[in-house]
Amino acid sequence: MMLRARFCLLATPFLTLMVMATRLDAQEPRLAGRLPGPVLQRIDSLLDAARRNGLPTEPLVDRALEGLAKGAAPDRIEPAVLRLSDELRLARTAFGDAATAAELMAGASAIRAGATTESLLRLRESRPDQPLTVPAGVLADLVAAGVDIQDGVTAVLAIVAAEDADYVAFRRNVERDIALGASPAAALGVRLRGMTEVLVPGDASVGVGSGGTRRKRKP
Amino acid sequence: MVENGDDLARIAESLREPVRIDPALDARVMAEIEALPRQPSRLDSRGHWLFRRRTFRLSPMGVLAMAAGLAALVLVAGRVGANRAEPPGAATGPPVEDQAAAGGPGQTTQFVFVAPDARSVSIVGDFNDWSFSATPLEQQPGDGLWWVTLSLPPGRYRYAFVVDGTRWRKDPNSPAAEDEFGRPNSVVTIGGP
Repeated sequence: MMLRARFCLLATPFLTLMVMATRLDAQEPRLAGRLPGPVLQRIDSLLDAARRNGLPTEPLVDRALEGLAKGAAPDRIEPAVLRLSDELRLARTAFGDAATAAELMAGASAIRAGATTESLLRLRESRPDQPLTVPAGVLADLVAAGVDIQDGVTAVLAIVAAEDADYVAFRRNVERDIALGASPAAALGVRLRGMTEVLVPGDASVGVGSGGTRRKRKP
Repeated sequence: MVENGDDLARIAESLREPVRIDPALDARVMAEIEALPRQPSRLDSRGHWLFRRRTFRLSPMGVLAMAAGLAALVLVAGRVGANRAEPPGAATGPPVEDQAAAGGPGQTTQFVFVAPDARSVSIVGDFNDWSFSATPLEQQPGDGLWWVTLSLPPGRYRYAFVVDGTRWRKDPNSPAAEDEFGRPNSVVTIGGP
Protein backbone atom coordinates (compact mmCIF):
# COMPACT_ATOMS: atom_id res chain seq x y z
CA MET A 1 0.00 0.00 0.00
CA MET A 2 2.81 2.35 0.99
CA LEU A 3 4.70 1.45 -2.17
CA ARG A 4 1.69 2.30 -4.31
CA ALA A 5 1.19 5.62 -2.59
CA ARG A 6 4.86 6.46 -3.00
CA PHE A 7 4.74 5.55 -6.67
CA CYS A 8 1.68 7.73 -7.20
CA LEU A 9 3.42 10.58 -5.42
CA LEU A 10 6.46 10.18 -7.63
CA ALA A 11 4.67 9.59 -10.91
CA THR A 12 2.01 12.27 -10.69
CA PRO A 13 4.21 15.30 -11.41
CA PHE A 14 5.94 13.53 -14.26
CA LEU A 15 2.69 12.36 -15.79
CA THR A 16 1.35 15.88 -15.45
CA LEU A 17 4.37 17.19 -17.30
CA MET A 18 3.86 14.60 -20.01
CA VAL A 19 0.24 15.62 -20.42
CA MET A 20 1.32 19.26 -20.57
CA ALA A 21 3.86 18.41 -23.24
CA THR A 22 1.17 16.63 -25.22
CA ARG A 23 -1.13 19.60 -24.87
CA LEU A 24 1.60 21.89 -26.21
CA ASP A 25 1.43 19.75 -29.33
CA ALA A 26 -2.30 20.45 -29.45
CA GLN A 27 -4.38 21.01 -32.52
CA GLU A 28 -4.23 24.25 -34.44
CA PRO A 29 -7.31 26.03 -33.06
CA ARG A 30 -8.35 27.47 -36.42
CA LEU A 31 -8.55 23.99 -37.89
CA ALA A 32 -9.91 22.13 -34.89
CA GLY A 33 -13.35 20.69 -35.53
CA ARG A 34 -13.26 21.63 -39.20
CA LEU A 35 -11.40 18.58 -40.49
CA PRO A 36 -11.83 14.88 -39.75
CA GLY A 37 -9.77 13.74 -36.76
CA PRO A 38 -7.12 11.68 -38.59
CA VAL A 39 -6.54 14.39 -41.22
CA LEU A 40 -6.32 17.03 -38.53
CA GLN A 41 -3.86 14.90 -36.61
CA ARG A 42 -1.64 14.48 -39.64
CA ILE A 43 -1.73 18.19 -40.44
CA ASP A 44 -0.90 18.97 -36.82
CA SER A 45 2.06 16.62 -37.10
CA LEU A 46 3.16 18.50 -40.22
CA LEU A 47 2.88 21.79 -38.38
CA ASP A 48 4.84 20.38 -35.49
CA ALA A 49 7.58 19.12 -37.80
CA ALA A 50 7.74 22.48 -39.55
CA ARG A 51 8.02 24.24 -36.21
CA ARG A 52 10.83 21.94 -35.15
CA ASN A 53 12.66 22.61 -38.41
CA GLY A 54 12.34 26.36 -38.07
CA LEU A 55 9.89 26.68 -40.95
CA PRO A 56 6.96 29.08 -40.74
CA THR A 57 3.71 27.33 -39.91
CA GLU A 58 1.36 30.17 -40.76
CA PRO A 59 1.47 29.55 -44.54
CA LEU A 60 0.62 25.90 -43.90
CA VAL A 61 -2.36 26.80 -41.77
CA ASP A 62 -3.39 29.34 -44.40
CA ARG A 63 -3.29 26.67 -47.08
CA ALA A 64 -5.55 24.42 -45.06
CA LEU A 65 -7.90 27.32 -44.32
CA GLU A 66 -7.98 28.14 -48.03
CA GLY A 67 -9.03 24.58 -48.80
CA LEU A 68 -11.73 24.72 -46.16
CA ALA A 69 -13.02 28.08 -47.40
CA LYS A 70 -13.22 26.68 -50.92
CA GLY A 71 -15.07 23.61 -49.76
CA ALA A 72 -12.32 21.21 -50.80
CA ALA A 73 -12.40 17.63 -49.60
CA PRO A 74 -10.04 16.85 -46.70
CA ASP A 75 -8.12 14.42 -48.89
CA ARG A 76 -7.19 17.34 -51.13
CA ILE A 77 -6.30 19.68 -48.31
CA GLU A 78 -3.75 17.43 -46.64
CA PRO A 79 -1.59 16.89 -49.77
CA ALA A 80 -1.73 20.61 -50.49
CA VAL A 81 -0.36 21.38 -47.04
CA LEU A 82 2.27 18.68 -47.37
CA ARG A 83 3.37 19.97 -50.76
CA LEU A 84 3.70 23.52 -49.50
CA SER A 85 5.70 22.24 -46.54
CA ASP A 86 8.13 20.57 -48.93
CA GLU A 87 8.40 23.72 -51.02
CA LEU A 88 9.10 25.84 -47.97
CA ARG A 89 11.81 23.41 -46.96
CA LEU A 90 13.42 23.63 -50.41
CA ALA A 91 13.21 27.42 -50.33
CA ARG A 92 14.92 27.44 -46.96
CA THR A 93 17.65 25.18 -48.34
CA ALA A 94 18.30 27.78 -51.02
CA PHE A 95 17.80 30.98 -49.04
CA GLY A 96 19.41 29.84 -45.81
CA ASP A 97 18.37 29.66 -42.20
CA ALA A 98 18.18 33.42 -41.87
CA ALA A 99 15.45 33.70 -44.51
CA THR A 100 12.25 35.31 -43.35
CA ALA A 101 8.82 33.72 -43.59
CA ALA A 102 7.98 36.16 -46.40
CA GLU A 103 11.06 35.16 -48.37
CA LEU A 104 10.39 31.49 -47.84
CA MET A 105 6.81 31.85 -49.01
CA ALA A 106 7.93 33.68 -52.15
CA GLY A 107 10.66 31.10 -52.67
CA ALA A 108 8.12 28.32 -52.31
CA SER A 109 6.01 29.96 -55.02
CA ALA A 110 9.05 30.10 -57.28
CA ILE A 111 9.76 26.44 -56.59
CA ARG A 112 6.14 25.67 -57.44
CA ALA A 113 6.57 27.59 -60.68
CA GLY A 114 9.49 25.36 -61.62
CA ALA A 115 12.55 27.17 -60.27
CA THR A 116 15.29 24.94 -58.95
CA THR A 117 16.95 25.35 -55.58
CA GLU A 118 20.17 26.09 -57.46
CA SER A 119 18.62 29.07 -59.24
CA LEU A 120 17.22 30.38 -55.94
CA LEU A 121 20.61 29.89 -54.37
CA ARG A 122 22.13 32.02 -57.12
CA LEU A 123 19.52 34.66 -56.39
CA ARG A 124 20.49 34.56 -52.72
CA GLU A 125 24.17 34.87 -53.56
CA SER A 126 23.49 37.73 -55.96
CA ARG A 127 21.51 39.68 -53.36
CA PRO A 128 23.19 38.68 -50.11
CA ASP A 129 21.96 41.67 -48.11
CA GLN A 130 18.66 42.43 -49.78
CA PRO A 131 15.27 40.83 -49.25
CA LEU A 132 14.33 38.20 -51.78
CA THR A 133 10.58 38.28 -51.32
CA VAL A 134 9.82 40.43 -54.34
CA PRO A 135 12.36 38.98 -56.82
CA ALA A 136 11.28 35.42 -56.01
CA GLY A 137 7.62 36.41 -56.13
CA VAL A 138 8.10 38.17 -59.46
CA LEU A 139 9.72 35.05 -60.86
CA ALA A 140 6.66 33.00 -59.90
CA ASP A 141 4.36 35.68 -61.35
CA LEU A 142 6.23 35.78 -64.65
CA VAL A 143 5.91 32.03 -65.03
CA ALA A 144 2.21 32.28 -64.22
CA ALA A 145 1.94 34.84 -67.02
CA GLY A 146 3.39 32.36 -69.49
CA VAL A 147 7.12 33.11 -69.34
CA ASP A 148 9.40 30.11 -69.61
CA ILE A 149 10.90 29.30 -66.22
CA GLN A 150 14.49 29.39 -67.46
CA ASP A 151 13.97 32.74 -69.15
CA GLY A 152 12.31 34.01 -66.01
CA VAL A 153 15.19 32.90 -63.81
CA THR A 154 17.68 34.48 -66.18
CA ALA A 155 15.76 37.76 -66.22
CA VAL A 156 15.38 37.95 -62.46
CA LEU A 157 19.06 37.24 -61.99
CA ALA A 158 20.01 39.76 -64.67
CA ILE A 159 18.51 42.64 -62.75
CA VAL A 160 19.59 41.78 -59.22
CA ALA A 161 20.69 45.39 -58.76
CA ALA A 162 17.09 46.48 -59.15
CA GLU A 163 14.98 47.54 -56.22
CA ASP A 164 11.69 45.94 -55.26
CA ALA A 165 9.66 48.61 -57.04
CA ASP A 166 11.67 48.03 -60.22
CA TYR A 167 10.95 44.33 -60.08
CA VAL A 168 7.24 45.00 -59.65
CA ALA A 169 7.21 47.48 -62.52
CA PHE A 170 9.12 45.03 -64.69
CA ARG A 171 6.60 42.28 -63.96
CA ARG A 172 3.64 44.57 -64.62
CA ASN A 173 5.06 45.68 -67.95
CA VAL A 174 5.72 42.14 -69.10
CA GLU A 175 2.21 41.07 -68.07
CA ARG A 176 0.67 44.03 -69.84
CA ASP A 177 2.57 43.31 -73.04
CA ILE A 178 1.48 39.68 -72.93
CA ALA A 179 -2.12 40.69 -72.30
CA LEU A 180 -1.93 42.95 -75.35
CA GLY A 181 -0.82 40.08 -77.52
CA ALA A 182 2.97 39.90 -77.32
CA SER A 183 4.61 36.55 -76.88
CA PRO A 184 5.95 35.99 -73.35
CA ALA A 185 9.51 35.60 -74.64
CA ALA A 186 9.36 38.81 -76.67
CA ALA A 187 7.74 40.78 -73.86
CA LEU A 188 10.35 39.57 -71.42
CA GLY A 189 13.26 40.32 -73.74
CA VAL A 190 12.14 43.84 -74.62
CA ARG A 191 11.29 44.80 -71.05
CA LEU A 192 14.55 43.33 -69.81
CA ARG A 193 16.51 45.49 -72.23
CA GLY A 194 14.59 48.53 -71.05
CA MET A 195 15.21 47.59 -67.45
CA THR A 196 18.95 47.32 -67.88
CA GLU A 197 19.02 50.86 -69.27
CA VAL A 198 17.59 52.08 -65.99
CA LEU A 199 20.53 50.54 -64.20
CA VAL A 200 24.09 51.79 -64.44
CA PRO A 201 25.44 50.82 -67.85
CA GLY A 202 28.53 48.73 -68.26
CA ASP A 203 27.03 45.30 -68.61
CA ALA A 204 25.90 45.30 -72.19
CA SER A 205 25.60 41.55 -72.13
CA VAL A 206 22.57 41.68 -69.87
CA GLY A 207 19.72 39.90 -71.50
CA VAL A 208 18.18 36.49 -71.60
CA GLY A 209 21.00 34.08 -71.08
CA SER A 210 23.31 36.41 -69.17
CA GLY A 211 24.09 36.25 -65.52
CA GLY A 212 23.96 39.89 -64.52
CA THR A 213 25.86 41.72 -61.82
CA ARG A 214 25.10 43.86 -58.81
CA ARG A 215 25.09 47.51 -59.74
CA LYS A 216 23.89 50.74 -58.29
CA ARG A 217 21.11 52.64 -59.93
CA LYS A 218 21.78 55.72 -61.94
CA PRO A 219 21.63 58.85 -59.80
CA MET B 1 68.52 40.78 42.47
CA VAL B 2 70.59 43.90 42.25
CA GLU B 3 73.14 44.25 39.50
CA ASN B 4 75.85 46.81 39.27
CA GLY B 5 76.37 49.32 36.47
CA ASP B 6 79.00 47.28 34.56
CA ASP B 7 76.69 44.35 34.20
CA LEU B 8 73.92 46.56 32.93
CA ALA B 9 76.24 48.17 30.45
CA ARG B 10 77.29 44.77 29.06
CA ILE B 11 73.74 43.65 28.72
CA ALA B 12 72.79 46.87 26.97
CA GLU B 13 75.79 46.49 24.66
CA SER B 14 74.83 42.97 23.72
CA LEU B 15 71.24 44.01 23.04
CA ARG B 16 72.43 46.75 20.72
CA GLU B 17 74.18 44.27 18.48
CA PRO B 18 72.02 43.26 15.42
CA VAL B 19 70.55 39.79 15.54
CA ARG B 20 72.03 37.59 12.86
CA ILE B 21 69.37 35.40 11.15
CA ASP B 22 70.23 32.45 9.02
CA PRO B 23 69.37 33.40 5.40
CA ALA B 24 67.95 29.88 4.88
CA LEU B 25 65.48 30.30 7.75
CA ASP B 26 62.57 31.37 5.53
CA ALA B 27 63.00 28.43 3.24
CA ARG B 28 63.20 26.00 6.15
CA VAL B 29 60.04 27.42 7.76
CA MET B 30 58.09 27.21 4.52
CA ALA B 31 59.25 23.67 3.97
CA GLU B 32 58.04 22.73 7.45
CA ILE B 33 54.67 24.34 6.79
CA GLU B 34 54.30 22.54 3.49
CA ALA B 35 55.08 19.29 5.23
CA LEU B 36 52.24 19.72 7.76
CA PRO B 37 49.03 17.69 7.04
CA ARG B 38 46.35 19.86 5.35
CA GLN B 39 43.30 20.84 7.35
CA PRO B 40 40.16 20.39 5.24
CA SER B 41 38.42 23.69 4.54
CA ARG B 42 34.62 24.06 4.67
CA LEU B 43 34.51 24.05 0.88
CA ASP B 44 36.62 20.91 0.76
CA SER B 45 34.34 19.20 3.22
CA ARG B 46 31.29 20.13 1.10
CA GLY B 47 32.99 18.80 -1.99
CA HIS B 48 33.74 15.67 -0.12
CA TRP B 49 30.06 15.36 0.72
CA LEU B 50 29.09 16.02 -2.86
CA PHE B 51 31.48 13.51 -4.28
CA ARG B 52 30.96 10.86 -1.69
CA ARG B 53 29.43 7.80 -3.25
CA ARG B 54 25.96 6.94 -2.06
CA THR B 55 23.58 4.15 -2.69
CA PHE B 56 20.00 4.86 -3.72
CA ARG B 57 17.30 2.30 -3.70
CA LEU B 58 14.77 2.71 -6.46
CA SER B 59 11.98 0.47 -7.57
CA PRO B 60 11.66 -0.23 -11.32
CA MET B 61 8.49 1.83 -11.35
CA GLY B 62 10.36 4.70 -9.77
CA VAL B 63 12.98 4.50 -12.49
CA LEU B 64 10.25 4.49 -15.14
CA ALA B 65 8.58 7.50 -13.57
CA MET B 66 11.86 9.40 -13.52
CA ALA B 67 12.54 8.50 -17.14
CA ALA B 68 9.06 9.69 -18.08
CA GLY B 69 9.64 12.91 -16.22
CA LEU B 70 12.93 13.54 -17.97
CA ALA B 71 11.34 12.82 -21.33
CA ALA B 72 8.54 15.24 -20.52
CA LEU B 73 11.04 17.92 -19.57
CA VAL B 74 12.92 17.41 -22.83
CA LEU B 75 9.66 17.65 -24.76
CA VAL B 76 8.62 20.83 -22.98
CA ALA B 77 12.03 22.38 -23.55
CA GLY B 78 11.87 21.39 -27.20
CA ARG B 79 8.45 22.97 -27.64
CA VAL B 80 9.47 26.19 -25.98
CA GLY B 81 12.64 26.34 -28.06
CA ALA B 82 10.78 25.62 -31.26
CA ASN B 83 8.21 28.30 -30.52
CA ARG B 84 10.95 30.82 -29.87
CA ALA B 85 12.66 29.82 -33.13
CA GLU B 86 9.56 30.69 -35.08
CA PRO B 87 10.53 33.29 -37.67
CA PRO B 88 9.04 36.76 -37.25
CA GLY B 89 5.72 37.11 -38.90
CA ALA B 90 5.13 33.39 -38.93
CA ALA B 91 3.66 32.98 -35.49
CA THR B 92 -0.01 32.56 -34.94
CA GLY B 93 -1.23 35.87 -33.69
CA PRO B 94 -3.65 38.67 -34.22
CA PRO B 95 -4.84 39.56 -37.70
CA VAL B 96 -2.30 41.40 -39.78
CA GLU B 97 -4.37 44.56 -39.63
CA ASP B 98 -3.91 44.51 -35.88
CA GLN B 99 -0.18 43.94 -36.20
CA ALA B 100 0.19 46.89 -38.50
CA ALA B 101 -1.93 49.04 -36.24
CA ALA B 102 0.29 48.03 -33.36
CA GLY B 103 3.26 49.54 -35.14
CA GLY B 104 4.51 46.47 -36.99
CA PRO B 105 5.80 46.72 -40.52
CA GLY B 106 3.08 47.04 -43.06
CA GLN B 107 2.39 48.34 -46.52
CA THR B 108 -0.92 49.87 -47.37
CA THR B 109 -2.46 48.07 -50.31
CA GLN B 110 -5.73 48.90 -51.99
CA PHE B 111 -7.84 46.17 -53.52
CA VAL B 112 -10.45 47.21 -56.05
CA PHE B 113 -13.07 45.07 -57.76
CA VAL B 114 -15.72 46.04 -60.27
CA ALA B 115 -19.07 44.33 -59.77
CA PRO B 116 -22.01 46.56 -60.68
CA ASP B 117 -24.64 43.95 -59.89
CA ALA B 118 -23.17 42.64 -56.66
CA ARG B 119 -24.96 43.00 -53.35
CA SER B 120 -21.81 42.33 -51.39
CA VAL B 121 -18.15 41.71 -52.09
CA SER B 122 -15.56 40.49 -49.62
CA ILE B 123 -11.92 39.62 -49.92
CA VAL B 124 -10.63 36.34 -48.52
CA GLY B 125 -7.01 35.33 -48.35
CA ASP B 126 -3.94 34.39 -46.42
CA PHE B 127 -4.14 37.71 -44.56
CA ASN B 128 -7.52 37.09 -42.95
CA ASP B 129 -7.68 33.32 -42.44
CA TRP B 130 -9.83 33.04 -45.57
CA SER B 131 -12.77 34.38 -43.62
CA PHE B 132 -15.80 35.44 -45.65
CA SER B 133 -16.87 37.96 -43.05
CA ALA B 134 -13.53 39.45 -41.94
CA THR B 135 -12.93 41.93 -44.76
CA PRO B 136 -15.97 43.21 -46.64
CA LEU B 137 -15.33 45.70 -49.45
CA GLU B 138 -16.92 49.12 -49.46
CA GLN B 139 -19.05 50.14 -52.41
CA GLN B 140 -18.50 53.36 -54.31
CA PRO B 141 -22.13 54.43 -54.80
CA GLY B 142 -23.39 54.23 -58.36
CA ASP B 143 -20.21 52.98 -60.00
CA GLY B 144 -20.17 49.31 -59.16
CA LEU B 145 -16.72 49.81 -57.71
CA TRP B 146 -15.85 47.95 -54.53
CA TRP B 147 -12.70 48.62 -52.60
CA VAL B 148 -10.82 48.07 -49.40
CA THR B 149 -7.44 49.19 -48.12
CA LEU B 150 -5.33 46.83 -46.04
CA SER B 151 -2.01 47.22 -44.32
CA LEU B 152 -0.04 44.07 -45.00
CA PRO B 153 3.35 43.05 -43.62
CA PRO B 154 5.96 41.81 -46.13
CA GLY B 155 4.92 38.53 -47.62
CA ARG B 156 3.22 36.78 -50.47
CA TYR B 157 -0.51 36.40 -50.08
CA ARG B 158 -3.00 34.38 -52.06
CA TYR B 159 -6.48 35.82 -52.14
CA ALA B 160 -9.74 36.05 -54.03
CA PHE B 161 -12.92 38.11 -54.08
CA VAL B 162 -16.20 36.51 -53.09
CA VAL B 163 -19.25 38.09 -54.61
CA ASP B 164 -22.57 37.77 -52.81
CA GLY B 165 -21.03 35.15 -50.54
CA THR B 166 -20.95 32.47 -53.21
CA ARG B 167 -19.15 33.48 -56.39
CA TRP B 168 -15.35 33.33 -56.34
CA ARG B 169 -13.52 35.81 -58.52
CA LYS B 170 -9.83 36.47 -59.05
CA ASP B 171 -8.46 39.99 -59.06
CA PRO B 172 -7.96 41.10 -62.67
CA ASN B 173 -5.41 43.65 -61.49
CA SER B 174 -3.06 41.11 -59.91
CA PRO B 175 -1.14 38.05 -61.07
CA ALA B 176 -2.98 34.78 -60.97
CA ALA B 177 -1.86 32.20 -58.45
CA GLU B 178 -1.86 28.47 -58.78
CA ASP B 179 -4.91 26.87 -57.25
CA GLU B 180 -5.28 23.40 -55.82
CA PHE B 181 -8.89 23.58 -54.77
CA GLY B 182 -10.78 24.45 -57.93
CA ARG B 183 -11.36 28.15 -57.34
CA PRO B 184 -9.58 31.15 -58.86
CA ASN B 185 -6.78 32.82 -56.93
CA SER B 186 -4.78 35.97 -57.20
CA VAL B 187 -1.56 36.81 -55.44
CA VAL B 188 -0.01 39.94 -54.06
CA THR B 189 3.61 40.28 -52.98
CA ILE B 190 4.53 42.86 -50.39
CA GLY B 191 8.20 43.74 -50.39
CA GLY B 192 10.44 43.90 -47.40
CA PRO B 193 12.50 41.53 -45.31
